[in-house]
Amino acid sequence: MSNDNRIDEYMRDLDDALRPLGDRDRNDIMAEIRAHLDHRAGEGRLDEALRALGSPAHCARGFLDELKIQAAFADGGPGKSVGALFEFASRRIAAAAGLFVSGVFFLFAIAFAIIAVTEIVAPNAVGLWIDPARDIFVLGVVDIGDDPPKEVLGGWMIPLAAALSLLSLLAGQGLARIFIRLMAQKRNLLTA
Amino acid sequence: MHVTMLYKVIMEMDAWKSQLRKGAAELAVLALLADEERSGIGLLDELAARPEIGLSDGSIYPLLNRMEREGRIAGQWQTPPEGGRGQKIYKLTRSGRTALSQMRAAWNGFKSQLSALVGETR
Repeated sequence: MSNDNRIDEYMRDLDDALRPLGDRDRNDIMAEIRAHLDHRAGEGRLDEALRALGSPAHCARGFLDELKIQAAFADGGPGKSVGALFEFASRRIAAAAGLFVSGVFFLFAIAFAIIAVTEIVAPNAVGLWIDPARDIFVLGVVDIGDDPPKEVLGGWMIPLAAALSLLSLLAGQGLARIFIRLMAQKRNLLTA
Repeated sequence: MHVTMLYKVIMEMDAWKSQLRKGAAELAVLALLADEERSGIGLLDELAARPEIGLSDGSIYPLLNRMEREGRIAGQWQTPPEGGRGQKIYKLTRSGRTALSQMRAAWNGFKSQLSALVGETR
């Protein structure tokens, strides 16, 4: 196989592996790697260059991981953080654990937000019911049944649930960032 | 047992070196680009004589890509006057010069203090 054909084949596979990127980013990376391989082929060092770049999938992963980590930190939103963790979770057990733990906090955030909204639109369906004598402690949107104990919080449920929702969101986001950082360090240990 | 332990020590040293190189790679690229504008190939050729810095064909392009996105370097495609395929030539931005200055100061402080510490305890 000629050098040109080998480079074409590598570039086709790299193009596929870089699909998650937008056209502009992908084309820019493709052009630079192509120029690199053409240059090395001209020096008679194509084999060495292909070996150093690794497989197209490995080469693409270097770019994708850098971009995802950067996007997660730059954006700071829970969506991108969890998205980045999803990407890493496919390859790292620790990231899967991070995804699970931060995911639990994000679910709590959603649940408390639902409680706060429900307290506004259907106050009778939500509350904190406590009755130590009957061993009852119920918080949330529930059908408490017949003969319920007195609801404790009343209108205070709205600010309390909103605050707990925000705290859970921040905790989930903080944990997601910590795990992303750990994964980034681990990746660099493995590939640097 | 001894072979296993030796293998473990070598692996740990490799990991430690990788971690050491990780932060140094960006500083090395910034320092080289402060001297003159260069392509990825130009940087690699310059770094080939310094293998301990640990930048390879596979790691330099993602690093350049990230540094460009962060605004520390700017790349521009240039075609050689004699024709042929162009190369992306990188130069430092103002932000990159500031980063280099701060990283260089931090590096010099780190190096002198660590050298003194390692020298004292040998």
